[in-house]
Amino acid sequence: MKRPEECSQAQSADRRLEALRNADRRTHEVLRDALPTLEAHLGPIGRWSEIFDSICQLSMEDTEAALTLAQRLRFEPSLVENLVAFRRWVLYGINLHSDSPKRSAWHFRVSSPSAFANEDVEGDAAHLLSRREALLHYLHGFDVNLKGIDIHEPEVLSHRQAVSTVNQDLLWMPRSVPGISGLERDLLYRATAAHVAAHLKFSPLSRPVGNRALTLVSLIALLEDARVERLMVREYPGLHGLWGRFHTATRETAGFHFTGLAARLARALHDPSYEDRNDWVVSGRRAFENLANRDLHDFLAFDAAARELTIQVNQMRQSVPSGYRPAPIYRDDNELLWDRRGATPIDESVEPKYEVVESGSERSKEGVDETVHNDVRRRFRYPEWDHRLDALREDWATVIESGPAAHRGAVNRFVQKQAQRVRGLEQTPDRSIRLNRLAEGDELDLTAAVDGAIQQRSRLAPDGRIFRRHGLRHRATAVVLLMDLSVSTRRFVPGSFTTVLEVEKRAARVVAQALDSGRDRVAVHGFASNGRHEVNYQRIKDFDEPFGAEQQARLAALQGSLSTRMGAALRHASAALDGQAVDHKVILMLTDGEPSDVDVVEDEHLVEDARHAVASAAARGIRTFCLTLDRQADVYVRRIFGSRNYLIADRADAFAGHTGDALVRLVAH
Amino acid sequence: MDERVLPYLVANEPYYHPTGNEIEVFSSAMDRRLPMMLKGPTGCGKTRFVEYMAWKLKRPLVTMACNEDMTASDLVGRWLLDAQGTVWQDGPLTLAVRYGAICYLDEVVEARQDTTVVIHPLTDDRRVLPLDKRGEVVHAHPDFRLVVSYNPGYQSVAKDLKPSTRQRFGAIDFDFPEAGVEVSVVEHESEVSRDLAAKLVAVAAQSRALRGRGLEEGMSTRMLVHAGGLIAAGISVHEACTVAMVAPLTDDREIQSALNGFVEAQFGPR
Repeated sequence: MKRPEECSQAQSADRRLEALRNADRRTHEVLRDALPTLEAHLGPIGRWSEIFDSICQLSMEDTEAALTLAQRLRFEPSLVENLVAFRRWVLYGINLHSDSPKRSAWHFRVSSPSAFANEDVEGDAAHLLSRREALLHYLHGFDVNLKGIDIHEPEVLSHRQAVSTVNQDLLWMPRSVPGISGLERDLLYRATAAHVAAHLKFSPLSRPVGNRALTLVSLIALLEDARVERLMVREYPGLHGLWGRFHTATRETAGFHFTGLAARLARALHDPSYEDRNDWVVSGRRAFENLANRDLHDFLAFDAAARELTIQVNQMRQSVPSGYRPAPIYRDDNELLWDRRGATPIDESVEPKYEVVESGSERSKEGVDETVHNDVRRRFRYPEWDHRLDALREDWATVIESGPAAHRGAVNRFVQKQAQRVRGLEQTPDRSIRLNRLAEGDELDLTAAVDGAIQQRSRLAPDGRIFRRHGLRHRATAVVLLMDLSVSTRRFVPGSFTTVLEVEKRAARVVAQALDSGRDRVAVHGFASNGRHEVNYQRIKDFDEPFGAEQQARLAALQGSLSTRMGAALRHASAALDGQAVDHKVILMLTDGEPSDVDVVEDEHLVEDARHAVASAAARGIRTFCLTLDRQADVYVRRIFGSRNYLIADRADAFAGHTGDALVRLVAH
Repeated sequence: MDERVLPYLVANEPYYHPTGNEIEVFSSAMDRRLPMMLKGPTGCGKTRFVEYMAWKLKRPLVTMACNEDMTASDLVGRWLLDAQGTVWQDGPLTLAVRYGAICYLDEVVEARQDTTVVIHPLTDDRRVLPLDKRGEVVHAHPDFRLVVSYNPGYQSVAKDLKPSTRQRFGAIDFDFPEAGVEVSVVEHESEVSRDLAAKLVAVAAQSRALRGRGLEEGMSTRMLVHAGGLIAAGISVHEACTVAMVAPLTDDREIQSALNGFVEAQFGPR
C-alpha cells in the first residue's frame, strides 16, 4: 500500500503527463515508452513530477528539442540521475533557444546534464556573475569599454580548462578555475580584467596570422603579454603585485616541456628576482630586457625576438602541445591579437563556443525580425525565480506594454515637465501650514511673544517658545494599482450580478479619484499574460496623467482575457515606481485568484516567483498589498505577500470600500 | 574696518595652487565689485580659493553654507526677545553688507529659491539690502562683495539657479587640477612623498572615469588629501584609501569593489 504522499506524487505526475499529452502528443508518446527504462534506472518512486515539469516547459518552448530529449531518455536514463542538474541543463538549453536555435538543438542532442551537476562549479559561476557589474566598472576605470562579460559554457566534451578570451567586444571568462577559491577568486578576476585592459590599451589587435607556425604565434603572444603588462605597470604599479601572485612556475613544478618553459619564461619576464638557469629562459629574458630598455612600444622588434626563441624551441625538438594555454591562469588566450582569416581554420567541432550561427537561416529568426519592425509596443525583460534551483532565471519573462509608442513618448515628455514641477514643490514650504510656538523659527509668533513679554514683566519665567515658521509639506506616496485582467475576472462574484472585473474597475475608480487631487500620486495599471514571452501590461492611468475622460474610457473598455503571471507584472510595476521621487511607494494588487499561466504546469513556480518579486520590491522600499476576491486565497496570498499585507474581500459591494480603507492604511503608514 | 567683522579676517595664508589665471580674474572682478560665482565639482578647491583671495585682498570673509532648510531670515536676520522686548539680530549677510566683508554663500543652489532672491537688490547697481521685517534699507558698505559657489554636477534638474539670479554674476569654472598640480597639492597638504601622492592621484583619475556610470562624482582632491593625511599618520595605505576615498564615495558594492581594484592597481593587493 502506498503512503499518502506517494499517492499525491503519482497524481501530480499524472496530471503533468496529461498536460503534456494535450500539448504535444508525439513527445508524450515517446516519453511514455521511455518510462519503463527510467523506472528501471531510478526505482519506482522517482520524483516524476519534477522531470515532467522540465520536459513540459521545454515542449512549450521548442517541441523538436523536447522530442529529441524524450528519445534520448529512453536510451540514456542517466540524464535524469541528478534532478537539479537536469533542470539547470534544460533551462540553459531553453535560454540558448531564443538566441541561437542551432546551439540549442546541439545542446539537447549532444550535451549532458553532468556538466551542470558540479555544485562548486555552479557556485563559482554564480560568484563570477555576481561580480560582473563591478568588473565592468573596473575595466571602465582603465578607459576600456567592453560590451559585457560572459561566462563560458560548461565544459561538456573537452577536459581542458576553459581560458578567458575576448570575442566581439565581450570578455568570456571560465565558469570556474580549479584550486582558486574565496578571496583569491576576486583577485583572479581583477588580474584577468587588468591583463585584458593592458592588451586593449597597448596591443596591436587582429593582426593577420599569415603563415606563422603555431610555436611562433604562441611565443609572439607570450612576449606581447609581458610587454603590455610592463607598459601597464608603469601607470598602475600595483598591478605588478597582483599579477605576481599567480606566477608560480619553477623548474621543479613546471618542468622542461614547452608549456613549462613558457610558464617559466613568463615568470622570468615578470619577476626580476626570479632565478632560472635554463638556457632558453635566460636567452629569452636577455633579449626581452634589451628591447624593453630601448623602447617598449616597438612591438615589431619583439616579434623578431620571438622568432629567435622559436628557432631555439625547434632545435630542442619541442612543440606547442594541443591544449596549450598561456600561463599563468589569469592570462587570456590571446585570440584578440590575431585575425585567423586566411590561415588554417581551427577545428570547430569541439569548440561550440565559437560556432557562428547565421541569423536569418532559422525559421524563428525571420519571424522575430518581422515583429521587431511592425510591432511598436515596448518590451521589457524580467527575471523569474526558480525555487527549486534557488536561482533567478535571467530575462525569462517579457512584459509588453500596449499603446502606440508615439503616444507613450508624448506622455513621457509630459511626465518630465510635470515631474520637474512636482519636484520643485518638495522644496517650497507649505504656507498653509504654520508651526506656532517654536523655540526657533523665522519670525516672531506675536501672540506667544506678547505672552512672553507679559510673563517677563510680571517676573515669571517666560516660555521661550515665541517663534513660528512655515511647515513643510507632508510625505508623499506613490501608488500603483495593479489590476488582474485575466480571463477569470469575467466570472460573476459569488452571490451577485457583477463580474470580478467590474468590481476591480469600481475599486480602481475609487482609488484614482481619491488620490488624484492631493499630492499623492496614483497610477492604474493592468496585466494579463499569455506565456512567458507575452505578459501584456496596460497603463490605464499613469502617474502624471489626470484621471480624465480618456483614462476613464480606457478603464471602462478593459476586457478580461488570458492568464495571471503575477511576478512579471509586479516587477514591471516596481520598475515604474523606481522613477518616482516620493517618500512611500506602494503596489496595490487587485486579483481574483492564484497566479497561473499557460506555459507553466508546475504548481508552486509562479507563486514562489511572485513571492520573490514582492520581496525584491520590498528591498527597494516598495510595499506590496493584495486585495483578493478569492475566498480560498489564504494559502497562497499569505505566502506571496506576507501575513499582514493582504485582505480577502469576498463581497462585491464591499470591495471598493475595502480597497479605499486599505489605501488609507497604506498611505498613513 | 569695523571691529564686528574683524574676527572674520583670514589670519594665515591658506595654501592655494593656481591652475590658471583665476587669481587675476577674481581680483579684477572684486575691484569692479562684480559678484562672482564659482562652479565646479566638490572638493576641487573652490572654498580654499575664496579663503586665499580673502587673505590676499585683506578682506573679512563671512561664509554661509546653504541648505534647503535655510530661509531668508537665516541670511538677513530676525527679531529676538530679550528682557526689554524685541531686539533685531543681523544675519551673516546683513553683517557683511553693513560693515564691508566678502559674503560667501557655499552651495548656493541648495538654498530654496525664495531665499536666494534676497540677494537680487544687492547684486545690481542699487547695492542695497531691504530688511522688510525691520523697515530698514541697508546700503552696502563699499567693501562688501558677494561670492557664491555651487556644483553643477549632481543637483537635480529642479535644483538650479533662476536665470534672474545667474545673470547677476560673473563665473569661474573650476575642475580638478591637472595631474602634476594635483600631485603637488596632495603632497603639500597631507605631507606624503611625491610618489605616494602621484599614486593617489592616479586612483582618483580612474575613479573619475566612472562619473555618470553609477558615480555622481569621482574622488575629489580633498579626499586624496584626507587619505594622504591618514597614511602620513601611520595608517596602512589600503586602510587609508578605503576609509578616506572608497567608502565615503558610494554605497554601491559593485562600484566600491571596482574602486578597491583601482587602489590595488596602484598599491598592489592587500
